[in-house]
Amino acid sequence: MRDRPTGDELLACARQLLREEVLPALPADSKHTLLMVMNAMSIAERQLRFGDAPEARELGEVRQLLDDRIVSLSDGNRLLARRLREGAADPGAGGRGALLSHLRAAARQRLAESNPKHLPGDSR
Amino acid sequence: MEEKSRKAIERFVAQAAGASSARIVDARLLSGGAVQENWLLDLNIAGGLHSGRLEAVLRCDSPTAGVAISHGREQEFALLKTVFDAGVTVPEPLWLCDDPAVIGRQFFLMRRIGGTAAGHLLAKDGRYGGNRVQLAERLGRELARIHSVRPPQPALGFLPWYEDAPALHLVAQHRAFLDGHHSAHPVLEFGLRWLERHAPPRDLVTLCHRDYRTGNYMVDEQGLTGVLDWEFAGWSDPLEDIGWFCAKCWRFGKVEQEAGGIGAREDFYRGYEAESGRRIDREAVRYWEVMAHMNWAVIAIQQAQRHVSGEENSLLLALTGHIVPELEWEILNMTEND
Repeated sequence: MRDRPTGDELLACARQLLREEVLPALPADSKHTLLMVMNAMSIAERQLRFGDAPEARELGEVRQLLDDRIVSLSDGNRLLARRLREGAADPGAGGRGALLSHLRAAARQRLAESNPKHLPGDSR
Repeated sequence: MEEKSRKAIERFVAQAAGASSARIVDARLLSGGAVQENWLLDLNIAGGLHSGRLEAVLRCDSPTAGVAISHGREQEFALLKTVFDAGVTVPEPLWLCDDPAVIGRQFFLMRRIGGTAAGHLLAKDGRYGGNRVQLAERLGRELARIHSVRPPQPALGFLPWYEDAPALHLVAQHRAFLDGHHSAHPVLEFGLRWLERHAPPRDLVTLCHRDYRTGNYMVDEQGLTGVLDWEFAGWSDPLEDIGWFCAKCWRFGKVEQEAGGIGAREDFYRGYEAESGRRIDREAVRYWEVMAHMNWAVIAIQQAQRHVSGEENSLLLALTGHIVPELEWEILNMTEND
């Protein structure tokens, strides 16, 4: 078992140091570079904090939608993509409701990791 | 700049300008641009129509430029010339040197324009670009002039031609890319299906800039000084450019300023309609705003892939890939009800 502080805690602490002590000391044109670095760190931090649970959940949903208990996530998404292309989620199609709610959930999770500020009612 | 190149450029300019001599008095390499190099050149020209001081920019491929989907220098020069002649405000194209032997690469010179292009500055700070009603109108007019260039154009023969509906043409391109990419994108597939089901038929096809947005034109305190970045230009439905300019993903955080984060949508439309004499179908633009999010999502995946593949180690490219989720989110918002 790993000791604390964990990877996400280390990143959070390092980012705070950058924001409070390094950023103010930088000339204007280097600030942008550091802000990019800090953004990359916070994406990594959020992915670490969420761990493997979101992909496990996504895999469960994809398997259920495809009625396939062994498909991998990447193959499953490929199959899902093909079905969507063929109209499986068109208005009037039987599977539309379930597919749309899965797409929403997966998109929300990706957004929660990459840019939670864009989520309605940011839950951060 | 190497002495040898400097001398070669001076000889080339003197001859192209019909001058007795041309001398480079200052040459500075501009930063930015992984694919192209831009040099600020100050020249003293003696004799001919351009006699006197000339402030120019020299554009050439960077020595390390890999395979690029954008146009080459010769093609970019032809595009600039065509739109300059159509009355679009662009840096005036001066002379093309298509003989790579002169400095080792093709290059062209254009007249230098002043100002700033930084999108986030324009959206944040109202001092740039002058009066915003006028700027939005002006950008509408400029775009209408670009769209006044109609096929066939012998000088633009390098632009790919196609007979299907522009919208469906794009859908097919994006699907082909996603099929070859290492991971599938179900949300984008859902959006592409929507774009296929709602695709407008082929109608008017014009020259389109295809990257006409805030960040790709220059302004000073008075207003527009030039439209830049022509490397993605091609034949398409003119509404593609209008949707790209107005799409929420290109407003640099100023969501309520629907014309590129810098002005009101109706001001932009008014300028376009006055110049083109054609009414913009408001409802039809919505379709092309969905397409804008899709185009940007696909480009963002491609940018990230340049980093992931090891072709170009860049944090900027890497982070561009993390814009995709917010584009997917917006695509769902715009397409889930019909």
